[in-house]
Amino acid sequence: MSDASERLRRPAWLRIWGAALVPLFLVGAWLGLVWSPPDVNQGNLIRIMYAHVSVAWIGFVAVALTAFFGALFLWRSRRRDDVLAVASAEMALLFSSLTIIGGMTYSRPTLNTFWTWDAKLTLTALMVALLVGYFIVRALIDDPVRRGRVSAVVAIVVATSLPFNYLAAEWFRTLHPSRAIALDGSGVTMAPEMLATLLFNTVVAGLVYGWFLVDRARLGRIEAQLETERAERELATPSAGGVVRV
Amino acid sequence: MEAESAIALRGLVRGYGRRAVLKRLDLEVTPGKVVALFGANGAGKTTLLRLLATRLRPSDGTASVFGHDVVRAGHEVRKRIATLAVFGGAYATLTAREHLRLDAALRERTALDPDDLLARVGLADSADALVRTYSSGMRKRLGLARLLAAGADLWLLDEPHAALDEAGQDLLDQLVREARARGVTVLMATHERSRSRRLADAALLLVDGRLQRSDGVPERA
Amino acid sequence: MNDLLAVLWIARKDLLHETRSKATTVATLFFSALTLVVLAFAIGQDERLLQDAASGALWVALAFAGVISAAQSYQADLEDGAFDQLLTTPVPRAAVYLGKLLANWLFMLVLGVMLLPVTLVLYGASLPASWPWLIATLALGTLGFALIAVFYAGLTANLRARESLLPVLMFPVVVPILLAAVRASGALIAADDLELAAGWLRLLVGFDLVYAVLCTAIYHFVVEE
Repeated sequence: MSDASERLRRPAWLRIWGAALVPLFLVGAWLGLVWSPPDVNQGNLIRIMYAHVSVAWIGFVAVALTAFFGALFLWRSRRRDDVLAVASAEMALLFSSLTIIGGMTYSRPTLNTFWTWDAKLTLTALMVALLVGYFIVRALIDDPVRRGRVSAVVAIVVATSLPFNYLAAEWFRTLHPSRAIALDGSGVTMAPEMLATLLFNTVVAGLVYGWFLVDRARLGRIEAQLETERAERELATPSAGGVVRV
Repeated sequence: MEAESAIALRGLVRGYGRRAVLKRLDLEVTPGKVVALFGANGAGKTTLLRLLATRLRPSDGTASVFGHDVVRAGHEVRKRIATLAVFGGAYATLTAREHLRLDAALRERTALDPDDLLARVGLADSADALVRTYSSGMRKRLGLARLLAAGADLWLLDEPHAALDEAGQDLLDQLVREARARGVTVLMATHERSRSRRLADAALLLVDGRLQRSDGVPERA
Repeated sequence: MNDLLAVLWIARKDLLHETRSKATTVATLFFSALTLVVLAFAIGQDERLLQDAASGALWVALAFAGVISAAQSYQADLEDGAFDQLLTTPVPRAAVYLGKLLANWLFMLVLGVMLLPVTLVLYGASLPASWPWLIATLALGTLGFALIAVFYAGLTANLRARESLLPVLMFPVVVPILLAAVRASGALIAADDLELAAGWLRLLVGFDLVYAVLCTAIYHFVVEE
């Protein structure tokens, strides 16, 4: 019993990391909402950008890392790589969903519509669809090894498709320049305070992602260990006794 | 020093936890033996055959064929084996002759004369008919012809007697004996106990995911 | 050399299957032609609108037929364990993929060339002077589509719910292909604008190259169990 709770305990460094996220988040929010100046053109609306863009960037990193951990799993067949891949995919889905909500919040007051075929927003919507496919495939396969291998293949195809999807969405937009607006602030003159705020918030988002990834992977590892132990117990029942030779 | 085993299993597991189909199998099969594999439906006979044919990955442990690991050296294993599927493993929209030519191309072998082979298994008259017009026994006979054409060192047969008529079963037994004479190793999953016991050098029994020798089989030299 | 031969043999096997199961193949052809008609009805009488929609409708019809034919090519494999047996021969998995790809691509390309005049008539457009580029767009677009379709159809072939899973998995991946193909053929049909089409064609070439290499390299993970 104590063994189990010992296993479930977060190591000290992980607890410190987690606790540090709260003040960091508050500082980021303060920088974005109070410290940074309003934008010349967009006024206070620009403040949505700090949360929106930082989350979007980390979402893309998370997809790339899902494919990376998937490839590692295919290469070395270690259970922990699959656990990291799925943890990263979960965070990618969360972050890209937040990105879409952020994008819609942003486009409602600026364009008077919730949805715009902005390149990055379209890309993020596709990314959500691709990630949903990844999770459906995982749900359909019972054997943990096969589940990990097949979904790793899907993750690699998905990550490869993102640059093409980006290019297509970007070029698609240029045919309707009147409806387009850059949601990443690239069309905006960035004051140094604004850039600093954006970078700080991106680092915080990255630390949130990293913390959840490490913690989820830790739980996944324990889960895998318990499964393996149970499987071993079930296999260990009466041994046939030595090698059968014919 | 003995020659390397035709089949070697070490702690082989396939499946996971309670649903494991094969549970820690250890086996050595000497080259040139004909081995019958018995077991109830769902005992894991087909799983073991597909695993040796490199179609399934072991969940744990290793399996090797003539010293080649089925996972790491799958291609080498595939060069040495030939399989016979329960339902014959043929494409419904190809003819018998097309199957033999397809196999020859994929195995990079100069085709044995298809007419001879098909005559041998009693399909001479149907050589150019689509497989979808065949009966299940004829499909099995086509499987036998492809087996002969493969020139493999290990035959993996999944219920070879099933669907064949009396003459077909005699033909199969005859082909297996000839193969043994050439030094081919044969592993066949089967429910035909009496025929197989006359044919095989040894018999194995799969019960509850574990292997044991099946008694009452005369050991030949 | 021998691997190339294996590719051709596997393609031949799949194409023979297409021509010998006439009922299924004809149904697929008819279905895609019907898609064109239904879309034309939905768009209505406006001539300008119809002309603009021509390339989009053509690619929607092609995409539907492509998904069906990719899924069916594995259906034939799975009957009686024929694919299983094929994969126990020492043929490289890459050759199996490329063979099935070749057959599927040819099927889609022939279908595209057949649907093109139908589309032009139904949607009141005319064949542009730069029509060879239109054929090139068809070739590159169907290749990109077939690359993903054959790959994912292999992956879903022995999963539950494969009929609905295949489009769900593959459509978000082929969005750039469809978009680029629609834009390029649209630029050619509507405006005979080769310059505008060229940019999209480059995207098609890039997509085809990257996925041809990637899918061929990792296909063996798809067919293992």
